[in-house]
Amino acid sequence: MIRFTIRRLLSGVVLLLVVTSATFFLAHLAIGDPTAGLLGNNATPDQRAALHEQLGLDRPLITQFWDWFSHAVRGDFGTSWRNFQPVSDQIALRVPVTLSVVLAATLLAAVVGLAVGIATGLRPDGILARVLKVASVVLFALPGFWVSLVLVMTFAVRLKWFPAVGYVPLTQSPSAWLSSITLPSVALALAAIVMIAEQLRNGFMEVTKQDFVRTLRARGLSSRRVTTHVLRNASPAALTVLAVMFVGLLGGAIVVEIIFNLPGIGSLTQSAAQIGDIPILLGLTAVTVVFVVLVNFLLDLVLGWINPKVRES
Amino acid sequence: MKRIWRATVVAVAAFTVAACTNTTTPAGGTATDDIKIGTLLDITSWDPAQADIGFDGPYLSAVYDPLISLDKDSKAVPGLAKAWKYSADRLTLTLDLRTGVKFSDGQPFDAAAAVQNLQHLKAGVRSGQTYANVTDIKKVDADTVSLHLKKKDDALLYYMGLGRSWMASPAAIKTKSLATQPVGSGPYTYDKGKSAPGSEYVFAKKSGHWDDKTYPFGTVHVQPIADPTASFNAMRSGQLDVAYANAADIPRAKGAGWNVASDVATWVGIQFTDRTGKQFKPLGDIRVRRAINHAFDGAAMLKSVGQNAGVATNQMFPAGRPVYDKALNGRYPFDLDKAKKLMAEAGYPDGFKVTMPMSSIFQPWQPSVQQTLGKLGIKVKWKNLSPADYQKNAATFPMFVAVLALDSNAAASVDGRITSQQWFNPNPSTKDFPKVHDLVGKVEAATGEAQLPLIRELNEEITDQAWQDVWYQANNTYFSNKGIKVTPITGMMFPTLRFVQRG
Repeated sequence: MIRFTIRRLLSGVVLLLVVTSATFFLAHLAIGDPTAGLLGNNATPDQRAALHEQLGLDRPLITQFWDWFSHAVRGDFGTSWRNFQPVSDQIALRVPVTLSVVLAATLLAAVVGLAVGIATGLRPDGILARVLKVASVVLFALPGFWVSLVLVMTFAVRLKWFPAVGYVPLTQSPSAWLSSITLPSVALALAAIVMIAEQLRNGFMEVTKQDFVRTLRARGLSSRRVTTHVLRNASPAALTVLAVMFVGLLGGAIVVEIIFNLPGIGSLTQSAAQIGDIPILLGLTAVTVVFVVLVNFLLDLVLGWINPKVRES
Repeated sequence: MKRIWRATVVAVAAFTVAACTNTTTPAGGTATDDIKIGTLLDITSWDPAQADIGFDGPYLSAVYDPLISLDKDSKAVPGLAKAWKYSADRLTLTLDLRTGVKFSDGQPFDAAAAVQNLQHLKAGVRSGQTYANVTDIKKVDADTVSLHLKKKDDALLYYMGLGRSWMASPAAIKTKSLATQPVGSGPYTYDKGKSAPGSEYVFAKKSGHWDDKTYPFGTVHVQPIADPTASFNAMRSGQLDVAYANAADIPRAKGAGWNVASDVATWVGIQFTDRTGKQFKPLGDIRVRRAINHAFDGAAMLKSVGQNAGVATNQMFPAGRPVYDKALNGRYPFDLDKAKKLMAEAGYPDGFKVTMPMSSIFQPWQPSVQQTLGKLGIKVKWKNLSPADYQKNAATFPMFVAVLALDSNAAASVDGRITSQQWFNPNPSTKDFPKVHDLVGKVEAATGEAQLPLIRELNEEITDQAWQDVWYQANNTYFSNKGIKVTPITGMMFPTLRFVQRG
């Protein structure tokens, strides 16, 4: 298990290195000199030249990369080119927002997806299974922004149950926090729910046909205990989907954050890309890769714990 | 199985009830002492030297007092400077300061503080240009400072009033803490505990502020909302009292009984970066520039792309202001035949090839430009750039599609849009046009009201020279609930708090 853990961690570090280096060079290639965008309409060439020097853009690209990298490994991602504040401070402000929404969406998807998956797995020809089939097609076909807008129009504009926009930190008011993340989380979770439920249902149907289930039933185990065994064997696929969904939700959060005006890492990525704030983009990339590596690492651990064959492979 | 279902139903119900306990906050302004303002962008920086004029106004005007403010006609009015006077040669500006004002950290506002602030602003990355002509800033006595200029600067007071003279605590400037924590003497204090940076900023009214009557609201909430649909939905759900609006929503806003306030903010069209023909021969011929002006139907462009929110004009001085001349709008009527004739006279009956930059922001106009120039035989090769790169590289092309901010002050417009080198105007080339050069000289020699007729003449001359191809001036629009009035100010993308009033 220790070798398994070390192997996974090392591959995560390599991924982090490759992705951040590629982002650095691609961003510089695509954005070039950002000083005009940063200084606005009235900037003179002299001002732009001064900012160019202040940001260290007059140095060779490889020197700039080494400077960024040597600081980044110590947790210092530099300062934003927009407001000259530490990148880490700004990301620290934004991460809780995105994590709140993505974790709530993941939780919602896991709980509801699990329940629907088990129910439809036990009764594959029942009404719920048919509803799931239709829902999975519909929810995949509908664009996320449209679903979000329908939720806003219904629950915020008409019913006024939830706010249409904005985020309240958990530390400020737990109930207002929950209220502010509910609609975005639901918008993100809907497609994930049907995907997890579908995976679990398919897994259930597959596993219930296996010999060991028939043996368990023949031994007179209660249907609850049989279901528990089936669930344990059917869950890896759903768990993998859940982990993939989590990573996908981090990326999908950008649309939801814009529609619900949440100050998360998605909207920060968008604004940083628009004005060419490369230090922010690099910091966000590093943080996102760390999340992806961590989630995959945790998934591998859980799958390894459930199924020893995974550890051996 | 039933237990799983029961647990799920209970969990979802509990989640919903808990989430709904804090439902949408009621609209503030009209019913309560609060006002909730939705602007487009998050604050750039709390440090006035690093802030932007454009959308930072509502935030900065809450916590800072300016030395000089602007009134609704963009005329300089007293702020922390009670009065000011120029020397006879206009090279010294003396400011008489308000006394008895304190910053929120207890430090007094006096001449020493003003000098320190002005030096900080002069050195600022974004604020420095306003003070480019200022060579020295001196304390005259405890409540008087003087600014010494290397050349006459008729736009200085305007830019100071626009958002370049916010005064901050000298102690905070010294410790460089302003970027994250504003310390000013403004009408409100920033309530960090109730704010969620990036989502909502809350400001509580200060008692006994010297300009108390100008700020009628007890608590001000400012929310940056980049998406116009989100902003409109926030108004509809009662989360906002004032919103930076999309003109397409005006009919629905009027239907909802909201106040709608608009004024011109930018000009939209084609900027010529070479009018002498040194870099790109065809544009050095006035007939080619005039042909391009005749070829575009500005009114149609305004209607189709600009949602009819603005003024169809070929001028770059803001519509409705003293320099703007309605009669000049007939100078280049849409006339393709005339345009083709001018091209033929210039020696380009079959047009020419030109490379123009393009980025996602300007794509709404791209098909019209392609089609219209194509009718004159001008074949455009597009060079795609990222939005961030557009501003850097657009002016390296002979002409480009432009959306450029307007200034409500005529002298500032002359300096910022015609005579000085800017990213969009790398070759002002006024010296190559004798009449323009002569008029610029006369404008620079005159002062105050005497400048206006000369700038009007200059406007006529550069329109005649087809200095650029303006299609229309686009509005900025603001919605507000009944009982709240917003006064748009050309030059400020979102007006400062003094322009958000009951009424």
